[in-house]
Amino acid sequence: MNSKERVKKIFSKKKVDRVACFSGMGNVTVEGLKKYDYAFYEIHLDAEKMANAACTSYELYGFECAVAPFDLGIEAEVLGAEMNFYTHKRKEDIVYPTVKKKAIENPGDLSVPEGIAEKGRVPVVLKALEIMQKKVGDDVPVATYILGPYTLAGQIMDLEKLLKMSFKKPDEINALLSSLADFLVELGNIYFDAGIDYLTVREMGAPTDVLSPRMFRNLILPHLKEVFSGVKRPSVLHICGDTNIIVELMWESGATAISVEQKNDVAKTREKLGDEAIIFGNIDPFGTLVQGSVENIRSAVKAAIDGGVDSVWPGCDIWPAVPKENMIAYVKAVEEFGKR
Amino acid sequence: MDEEKRKDILERLKNGVVEFDEDMVREAAQEALDVGMDALDAIMNGLVAGMEEVGELFDKGEYFVPEVLMCADALYAGLDILKPHVKKEDIKVSGQVVIGVVEGDVHDIGKNLVKMMFEVAGFEVIDLGKDVPLEKFVEESLNANADIVALSAMMTTTMLGMPKVIEMIREKNPNAKILIGGAPVSKESAEKWGADGWAPDATNAVKEAINMVRGLKKEVMGEE
Ligand code: B12
Repeated sequence: MNSKERVKKIFSKKKVDRVACFSGMGNVTVEGLKKYDYAFYEIHLDAEKMANAACTSYELYGFECAVAPFDLGIEAEVLGAEMNFYTHKRKEDIVYPTVKKKAIENPGDLSVPEGIAEKGRVPVVLKALEIMQKKVGDDVPVATYILGPYTLAGQIMDLEKLLKMSFKKPDEINALLSSLADFLVELGNIYFDAGIDYLTVREMGAPTDVLSPRMFRNLILPHLKEVFSGVKRPSVLHICGDTNIIVELMWESGATAISVEQKNDVAKTREKLGDEAIIFGNIDPFGTLVQGSVENIRSAVKAAIDGGVDSVWPGCDIWPAVPKENMIAYVKAVEEFGKR
Repeated sequence: MDEEKRKDILERLKNGVVEFDEDMVREAAQEALDVGMDALDAIMNGLVAGMEEVGELFDKGEYFVPEVLMCADALYAGLDILKPHVKKEDIKVSGQVVIGVVEGDVHDIGKNLVKMMFEVAGFEVIDLGKDVPLEKFVEESLNANADIVALSAMMTTTMLGMPKVIEMIREKNPNAKILIGGAPVSKESAEKWGADGWAPDATNAVKEAINMVRGLKKEVMGEE
């Protein structure tokens, strides 16, 4: 069974030889960049470089997927935001792209352009996905991600304003989030039509470190449901931060699987959601993968598997600075402890 | 003015902040002025007391970020009314703070909470925003003659800009004290990089800053 078949089965809850070691988020490493002598900023802007970089974690460590892009600006750009790619930085500097200029002042200002497959960097991502499929698509699944409606709203308008209006003017924010959900469904399905094997929806701006569980239920969840009922499957809902009290709601969203980070107690989550739920998690991408020893990594992987994850996922993007030995130990540990 | 009335107004100012009811705060603030209450008393024992409670509710996980931001709006609504009436000689600015999130990092939710607590505590704050070029911290701290430069970072990569800023400030503006924080920044890193202070959250940030400024004043006056 190769990685692609394994992951496919995992998404349909079929019997597999072992859990997989993959992700739905960025996983390029400095070692991968070195392989092609790329600067970090280059891989966000050029389809071939993006694709090559996205395949390196599979090629170097046997990580079981290829995922592009690496930043959170694709959707925001389509909607009119301007990005900073830090192209003036030195080759060895890892600085993630950021939104430099927001797209809208008020929720009502949103206008979604026609033909989004042609807009912003969407063509770059589509081209990259195509190259990735040719390169490694027989062996590992090829995937991409979109933002959740609320996280996207925070990328295109002033975040403080969004947070306050969520309370004071929930109707306006609900309308905005619904329009964004429609837009995201369209974009997600463009990616599916391009042949991706799964899609991750990153609602990282809405953990309980920031929003109350009540607000998650009333304002965030309904629009996640819109997204998951509209996009093809398999789909994954990922939320960073503290998710312990919202895992039931995450599962209710209609995603094929949910993904949580290290602040989540996965054993409890499994207990709450039962056997049918597909749960991915929950390795600390910095504290464990970058800073941890091989021993730390092995015990974190074991704990996640013992806790009942269906596959081991990092809690967010893999941090590029991760040492080579650690990535190798990580993948190995999943192979070893994940036997079924 | 009778004590009963004073207590009533303070209570409404405080509750207005905690319940983020801007109208309640405005009315109570206006009434404070109408009955001749001391404006500083109303600010410190009404508005600020309310914000302190908000800080506790946030730390306990009862309030979340949007709630705190709205409480802050209610507080500012009251401040706008009361501040012009504070007697000049009563204004004792605790210090001048330059704050920002270091270059490459857009996570500014935490920084904004810290900034607000500084304002509440009577500091004068210059907010450089997020994704701030490292040199800018140095320039602005010199321009403003800042007592404290507060640096925030939420990523383990961008956090590495902090020791660079600290080094530059030491060289060009040795009088400024440097406070650092943000989720990945540990007390140990703060010590290693030679920062003057570190705090895990917004409430402690202000406590730490007050201690640092005291130290500063002592040094300037040649005590100890
Ligand atoms: C919300 C969020 C976002 C939002 C940010 C919106 C905004 N304007 O702030 C968005 C969606 C834009 C975002 C983007 C990204 N994010 Co983000 N994000 C988060 C998240 C979920 C919450 C952060 C937060 O606001 N917490 C709540 C506040 C109140 O807490 P706080 O910031 O810690 O602040 C408190 C204290 O730290 C302290 N404090 C803060 N500053 C200061 C300063 C001083 C002087 C003092 C004394 C104290 C102090 O007081 C505050 C109040 O008590 C975290 C995960 C998490 N749960 O922490 C990830 C996280 C920070 N993000 C992460 C990542 C990887 C990213 C991206 C790189 C993803 C990508 N592929 O592009 C981009 C970064 C882009 C960039 N270049 O900056 C990682 C960072 C990993 C690492 N090793 O560094 C995290 C940790 C997620 C994870 N689990 O891995 N993100």
